[in-house]
Amino acid sequence: MRLKLIVCLLLFVLVMSAALAADDDSDDDSGDEVTFKDFTMNLGDRIDVGDYRMELIEIQSVRDGLVVMRVSKSGGALDEQRAFLIDSANNFDGGADSDGVTVTITDIFDEQSVKTRIEYKESLGSARKRASDRPAAPPDRPEISVKKSFDRSQIRVGEEVKVTITLKNTGTGQALGISVEDAPPLPEFTYLAGYPPKIRETLDPGQSDSAVYVMNAVKEGSIHVPAVEVTYTDSKKNAKSNSSDPFNIQISPKSRAELAINLEGPSSIALDGESAVNVSIINIGAASATRITVDGEVKPPQGLAVTGLEKSIFDIQPGAQENYSLHIAGSSPGDYSIMLKAGYDGGDGSRAVESSMKVSVLEREYKYLYLLLTIPIAMVALWMYRRYREYKY
Amino acid sequence: MLNVLMLGVGQCGNRILDAINKEAFGGSSASKLAKYYLKPKFPSRVETLAVNTAVNDLKELRFTTAKDRLHVPNLHGVGANRNVGKQAFMDNRDMIMGEIEKRGDFDIAFVITSTSGGTGSSFSPLLINELKRQYRNITVITVAVLPFREEGSIYLQNAAFCMRELMEVEAEGIILADNQYMKRFSGDIASAYDKINGMIAQRLLFLVESLDSEMLSVTDLGDFKTVMNGGLRIGTMGFYQAENKTQSIRDAIENSLKPANLLYPANVADDAARAMIIIQGSREHLDVDEITKEVERLSASAGHVFKGIVVKKGRPKVLSVFTLAAAPELEGIYAQAARAMQDEKEKRTRARKQLDDAFAHIEDLEEIY
Repeated sequence: MRLKLIVCLLLFVLVMSAALAADDDSDDDSGDEVTFKDFTMNLGDRIDVGDYRMELIEIQSVRDGLVVMRVSKSGGALDEQRAFLIDSANNFDGGADSDGVTVTITDIFDEQSVKTRIEYKESLGSARKRASDRPAAPPDRPEISVKKSFDRSQIRVGEEVKVTITLKNTGTGQALGISVEDAPPLPEFTYLAGYPPKIRETLDPGQSDSAVYVMNAVKEGSIHVPAVEVTYTDSKKNAKSNSSDPFNIQISPKSRAELAINLEGPSSIALDGESAVNVSIINIGAASATRITVDGEVKPPQGLAVTGLEKSIFDIQPGAQENYSLHIAGSSPGDYSIMLKAGYDGGDGSRAVESSMKVSVLEREYKYLYLLLTIPIAMVALWMYRRYREYKY
Repeated sequence: MLNVLMLGVGQCGNRILDAINKEAFGGSSASKLAKYYLKPKFPSRVETLAVNTAVNDLKELRFTTAKDRLHVPNLHGVGANRNVGKQAFMDNRDMIMGEIEKRGDFDIAFVITSTSGGTGSSFSPLLINELKRQYRNITVITVAVLPFREEGSIYLQNAAFCMRELMEVEAEGIILADNQYMKRFSGDIASAYDKINGMIAQRLLFLVESLDSEMLSVTDLGDFKTVMNGGLRIGTMGFYQAENKTQSIRDAIENSLKPANLLYPANVADDAARAMIIIQGSREHLDVDEITKEVERLSASAGHVFKGIVVKKGRPKVLSVFTLAAAPELEGIYAQAARAMQDEKEKRTRARKQLDDAFAHIEDLEEIY
C-alpha cells in the first residue's frame, strides 16, 4: 500500500514537472529568453534540448569533481566529449546567450549520478531527459569488511590462540592496495607465527582473504583487543578504509593439575594384626597430571610394616582419580604416621602433594590374663587339698 | 643315715607321735596350717606310725598323715583292759607288722606309749617282741609315760603290769616320762599334755639328729645302746637350750641335768648309772675346758659319761640321757598300785557280799504272774 502511494506521488511529480515545463516553453515562445533546467542524471542518461544532446558518460572523480559528458548536435555540427569540472559552466556554440547551450555540473552525488544544469534559450524548446537505454553498469565500488577473531573465547595463560583476520570485498568494485594494520602488538601475548598478517593486496568483488597468526598468552587479565584497520582504494584510486570491531577478552590464570591424596584406613589395628589403607589420588585441577611418582614413609619406621608405598602413575586426567591400597601390619604397639608424597608434572612444572594418616598399633589385650591367676590358685588349692587328703583320717 | 621307726601306740603314744611330726614342721612355732605348705623335716630317715584301737583317737591327730595312722579294729578301743588289748594285738599282729614292714628296714625303733592306758600298755610289750623277732639287729627303745597317780586304780594297775612286761622284753631300754612330774606346768590340762608331748618330741628328735650327725666328739648308736643298757635299763632325758648366747656351756650342761628339765624325777648325782651328754652349739660356745670339767664332774657320780659335741650355729643346746641305777619313784608307783588293786579287790568283795545278801531275800521265792 505504501509502495503504491510512493509511485503515485512520483507520477504526480512527473506530471507536474511536465506541466511546468510546458509553461516554460510557452513562456520561451513568448520571448528569446535564456532559461535553465536542472536534471539529475545517471550514467548514460541524455538530455535533449533543441538539436543538442547531452549525455553523461562517466564520473571520473567524485572527490575531484570531474565528470565526462558528451555534447552533440544533430547534423553532426557538434560532437564533443569533454571533462566537466564541478560548478564550472561549459558553453557549447557560444553558450546559452548565443543560441547555444551552457552545461554545468552542480553536484556529484556519487560515481553514478550527478546533478546537471542546462541553460539555453527558450526558443530551443523544452529540455527533456531521456533515460539511458543501456543497461546500468555496475558501480565500481569496493567495500572491504574486516573481521578479527580468536579461535577460543576462554584463554588461559600459556595457551596458544589463533587469531584470524578475514577481509571480504562485499562491494561492486575491485579493492586495490589493500593494507591491514593490526597494531600495536599486544603485550599480553607473545607472537609465535604469522604476525604481522599478510593479506592479498587486491580483492575482487565477493572475494575474501584471511590471515592467521598464532599467539601465546603470557599474562592474565582483561585484554582490550583493538580494531584491525584496513585501507584500500577502488579502481579510481579513491582511498577507503574500514576496521573491525574491537572487543575485550579475558585471559585466565594458567590451567594446571592439582592432586589431592586421600588416605582411608583403620585408625588402629591389633598387635600382630593386618589391615589395608585405601589410597585415592584425585586430580582436582584443570590440567592433566603426568609422571606421578608416589613415595611414602612410616614414622617411626619400626613397628608398623607398610607395603605398597611406592607407586608410579602415568597420568591422571582432570577430575579423575587413581585408587590403590597399602597393606599394613603392626608388630609393635605405638602410634605411627603413614606419610605419602606424590610428585607430578602439573602443567606448570613439577609439583608435589603430601598426605598422612595416623595408625595406632594397640597393646595386646590380656582379657583373660586374670585366668592365669587361677593357675597358681588352683595349684595351691590342689596342693592343699592333697595335703588335706594326706592328713585327713 | 639312721633309719628310725617311731611307733606311737595308744592315745598317749599317738599324741606324742603327732608332736614329733609337728616338731618336724617347726615345733611350737609351726602354724596349724604348716602341714599344708611345708614338708616335715626329719634329721634322718624317720618313719612314723600311730597305732590305736580307738579310731577317734587317731582322728584327733593333726600332723600325722593318714597313711601313718593305723587303726586296729576292735570296736572303739579296749576300755583300758590290757587283756582285751593283748587279744586285739594278737588278732591283728600280722596286719600291724605288715604295715611296719612296708616302711622298710630300721636301725632303731622308738615305741612310744603310755603305761596306763589300754591299747598302749597292752600292745607295746607284744609289739617290741615282734619287732625284735622281725628285725634282728634293731635297737628298740621304749618311751614309757607314767600316769597321774590320782587317775585311778586301773591306770595304776596297768602301769605296774605294763612296766613289768616292758622290763621283761628284749628292748634296749626304757626312757621314762612321768605325767605326775609334769604337773608342775601351769595352765589347762590340754596345754600341759601338749607341753609334755612337745618336750618328749623335742628330745627324741634332738637325740636322733645327734646320733646321725658328724660330731666333733663322736657319740653314735652304739654308745647310746651302751648307755641304755646301764643300771636298770630305765632312763630319762634332760634338755636345755641356753637363753642367750652369753650363757656358758657349763651352765647349759648343768641345767640339762636339773630336775626341772628332766622327764622323770631323778637325782642324777645319786641315781645315774650311765650318761650321755650331747652338746650342740656354735664353735665359740664350745669351751673344751668347761665341757671337760662338767663331764668329769658327772662321771664322778654316774660312772661313765659319753659326750658328743655337734658344731652348729645357734645357742647352745644340751641333751642329757642317762640310765638309772635306782628308781625309787617306780617303787612308789607299784606300792600305790598294789594298794589300789587291794582296795579294788576289797570293794568288789564287799559289793559281791552285799549283792549275795540281797539275793538271799528271794532265794526261796519264785516269780508270780
